[in-house]
Amino acid sequence: MSRGNGKSAAKQAAMVFDLNKCMGCQTCSVACKVLWTRDAGQDYQWWCTVNTLPGRGHPKDWEAMGGGFRDGIPQAGRRPTSKEWGGGWDFNYEEVMYSGRGQEVHLEAVGEKPQWGPNWDEDQGAGEYPNSYFYYMPRLCNHCTKPACVEACPRGAMYKREEDGIVLRDESRCRGYQFCLEACPYKKIYFNFAKEVSQHCILCYPRLEQSVAPACVRQCPGRAVWFGMLDDESGPVHKLVRKWEVALPLHPEYGTEPNVFYIPPILPARLTEDNNFDESRPRLPTEHLESLFGAGVRAALETLRREMGVTRSGGKSELMDTLIAYWWKDMFKPFDQDPGEIEWQRAAASQPNSGW
Amino acid sequence: MDAIKLQLASKTLLNPFAAQWERAPRVNLALRGTEAAEQPSAYIRTAWAGKRVGSIRALTVQAANNRQDLFFRLEWRDDTCDLDYAGGVTFPDAAAVLFPANGDAPLERMGTDAQGIEAWYWRANRNGTGECLRFHGFATEAPMADSPVTTAAQHRNGRWQVVISGPLAMHSAPARVAFAVWDGSNQERAGLHSYSPEWLELVLS
Repeated sequence: MSRGNGKSAAKQAAMVFDLNKCMGCQTCSVACKVLWTRDAGQDYQWWCTVNTLPGRGHPKDWEAMGGGFRDGIPQAGRRPTSKEWGGGWDFNYEEVMYSGRGQEVHLEAVGEKPQWGPNWDEDQGAGEYPNSYFYYMPRLCNHCTKPACVEACPRGAMYKREEDGIVLRDESRCRGYQFCLEACPYKKIYFNFAKEVSQHCILCYPRLEQSVAPACVRQCPGRAVWFGMLDDESGPVHKLVRKWEVALPLHPEYGTEPNVFYIPPILPARLTEDNNFDESRPRLPTEHLESLFGAGVRAALETLRREMGVTRSGGKSELMDTLIAYWWKDMFKPFDQDPGEIEWQRAAASQPNSGW
Repeated sequence: MDAIKLQLASKTLLNPFAAQWERAPRVNLALRGTEAAEQPSAYIRTAWAGKRVGSIRALTVQAANNRQDLFFRLEWRDDTCDLDYAGGVTFPDAAAVLFPANGDAPLERMGTDAQGIEAWYWRANRNGTGECLRFHGFATEAPMADSPVTTAAQHRNGRWQVVISGPLAMHSAPARVAFAVWDGSNQERAGLHSYSPEWLELVLS
């Protein structure tokens, strides 16, 4: 692995989530949790989370916490608090299961009553029945091309890997000063209060080095996520982001050039009062999508609708074939090695598992 | 400043309220805040532009030795006792005794590549265990091996009283010292702190 200049990379790993296909099952979240965040101080850490949109997200109201760049200038941000993260609770399992009072007590967090958590506003969404709307958005570190976290660290503890652009932290250099948490506009860096270091998604780099896709990608049961190198012109990520331009970065105005991209959702048509389709305007307001993905979302939606029309009329569409994902492993080639066939080298203290 | 000789056990001198500390001369120091514009990343420079760095501006110090160890007692007013991170709201308060590792290391920058600063470092969330760190500029600290630093601290009536101790052999006379304080509730950490702007001659008696 090469640190290079630590600020830019020759190649960039990237991901595309199709928000039309994500069903909010949290399999990606759990695959990541089980693999990476089971140590001390990581109880509340979910490097990959799936939230309902419109919603306040995780941490709560993260989009109002600042960070990133404007016209290339770093913007002040703040750290999320433990209350805004929520999660990592202990539950009264003993009391419910073994105390003999199972009919009187219910399962709940022990201690201070939780006010927020990783998936707190699930399925609330917005709008009025029968035209209410919501969709799911998986979020993880964007391994940005211009990572605000790397710039902010006064100790040079963070860097972009030369060979794939993954943003990593040398924990032996980290002193827990948390400027990276402040500077990250996506609020996807966590502070480990037990180890006094910051931590975030490592894009499963030990798996990539063995040609295995990240756990969140490989475990998705909905074929909703593609993974590959952004400059691999034969790969689906390049086609969706660069060729068809239907996969868009979240909040491009944050100025960090994120490398997790999203196919914007197109929800079912609205209903009129007499239960007919109302296609005069979309169920999901385009202005909402513009607030997330920028003005480019209109062209992306137009392309998606046009290509859907092509297939509806019996035609062939490379874009639709890519989005349908007929062949699972094509979604992350050449990182399609079966992890169950690899003899993994483990740290002594880590949990045994195989095949994630 | 005078590090008077007190023939006492280290355990006694590590108590900031030990009566024997009354015998050590008190030196009152005016502190300065580090400059936001001198911080090592553009993010910190931008985020702290116009903010007050170094909210602690007055420090009282005393020094003593018992032929084996060197002791510094630091006392300052701080209405907020920041013992830890308070769930991501604050940083733990901290303080350090600074020694020039090579020549006139600039205190306003916490040393340079060529002129390092050695620090005996106390942090409020580390019970009794100090660190010996070497700085070559803001936030460049690296732990030094085999250099035990012991600390003891109490926050009473809105004041921190902290004793920081290390082996006398590391800094036998003539030596020079300075001091730095980090106020956690003002988000002070790394190169954001207040410091005594002049090196003081340390006289062992």
